[in-house]
Amino acid sequence: MTLRAFASIRTLASIRTLTSIRTLALISLAALALPLGAQKAATKSTTYKTPWGDPDLQGTWTSDDTWGVPMERPAQYGDRLYLTEDELAARAKQVAASKQRIENPSDANHSPAKAQLDAIERGEGGKGGTRGVDAAPVPGQFGEYARRASKQTSQIIEPANGRMPPLTEEAKERQSAANAARRKTPETWTDWSIYDRCITRGVAGSIIPVIYGNGLEIVQTPGYVAIRYEMVHDTRIIPTDGRAHAPSSLRSYMGDPVGHWEGNTLVVETTNFNGKMGIGPNGGGVPGSLDMKLTERFTRASDNTINYEMTVDDPKTWTSQWKIAFPITHEPGYEIYEYACHEGNMAMRNMITGTLAEQAKAADK
Amino acid sequence: MKKTLAFAILGAGLLLTSGPVWAHHAFAAEFDVNKPLILKGTVTKMEWINPHAWIHIDVKDAATGQTTEWMIEAGAPNGLLRRGFTKASLPAGTNIVVEGWQAKDGSNRANGSNITLPDGKKLFVGSSGTGAPFEQK
Repeated sequence: MTLRAFASIRTLASIRTLTSIRTLALISLAALALPLGAQKAATKSTTYKTPWGDPDLQGTWTSDDTWGVPMERPAQYGDRLYLTEDELAARAKQVAASKQRIENPSDANHSPAKAQLDAIERGEGGKGGTRGVDAAPVPGQFGEYARRASKQTSQIIEPANGRMPPLTEEAKERQSAANAARRKTPETWTDWSIYDRCITRGVAGSIIPVIYGNGLEIVQTPGYVAIRYEMVHDTRIIPTDGRAHAPSSLRSYMGDPVGHWEGNTLVVETTNFNGKMGIGPNGGGVPGSLDMKLTERFTRASDNTINYEMTVDDPKTWTSQWKIAFPITHEPGYEIYEYACHEGNMAMRNMITGTLAEQAKAADK
Repeated sequence: MKKTLAFAILGAGLLLTSGPVWAHHAFAAEFDVNKPLILKGTVTKMEWINPHAWIHIDVKDAATGQTTEWMIEAGAPNGLLRRGFTKASLPAGTNIVVEGWQAKDGSNRANGSNITLPDGKKLFVGSSGTGAPFEQK
């Protein structure tokens, strides 16, 4: 299959998406419940294979269930990756409360942040305040939410303490230089992150969960796996023949991915990054260097779960390799929507005019 | 126990180890927290665009009879859609009351928090993670 054919799949998917948005407008949210069979190639057997015999990862998946689990482990958990039964039960209560409120918006929860603070005041907030694994449930009318309580204390599973390894000296210098150059208020488009400029969130940023836009779609064909991310509409086309990477002179935000199968696991090795994207929500954090290599593993665990793992290898930025891992799930009724972004990115311009107005006011004084 | 988020903590509230303090549509860079307003108007159209949807309303000045157009910034449509806020939720012609804050440059733009519909039902359309006043106490 050619790359052009992939472009057609993507266009088709966009048309399907637009039609779906119209359809959705006519159906109330409560009525949406696609049967599990709608998920492509979900079979009763415990092995999932495409018609040509490759492991089957196809379908729509989301990292919503890991929303609220911090990337780095809070110190009180030490080397413990998993919650105890009691801790898990407590989190499950909060997750259920949050899910219930988000799915049933009412006058009481029309201000999600205020409702969260009220819940904390009533003592329903858990120990974590407004953020993190122990945060009070956030009801809301537009954010995503975990449907199940994650067992993890952090997204980082290696090193043992669940935190990023120390930065190299070189990375620290890069960081200070970047911070020193930063303006106090935005004046021009390069004052924003690559994400805020609607360019991309990078490989890691496209799957680490944030408040919305955590969906992705996997489409397979003999010799290729394509992953389409909702936000910011990136698609990676991954050959699965273990070929050599592109020449090192070719650099990009999403890098050059090459895959191969190891049993039922898709292993994707990505290099050729352009040094502008970090490993964090929306691609934030310290940008990886040109030498960064990301190794991802996708393993279908059930009808509606894929276990995802990413190893970060960047000796110029971190003093050792580190790994994040979490499951991505298929949810009935969850589909990918178009996320055209640049065309509607008015806030950037509006913030510049805001800055100019402030400067004019200050100059007049 | 009241939790007070320092006003200086703008940005997405996510675990960014580096990034401008005012990052990601930071409220204070675009809108003026000292200019809260309440607008009563009629929806003319809603732009279902990312990264933020925009609700256009016509506001009639009772005293002068003059009509001005306002744009209200709402959250991302991908998020709104999944929570049941659809294109049918705010058809053109709906009379609404908007609570929000005016743009810093004085133009007829506002960041919306609550919208009250004619039947009294409230919809929260605000953006999360921008450091807006409704996220702080």
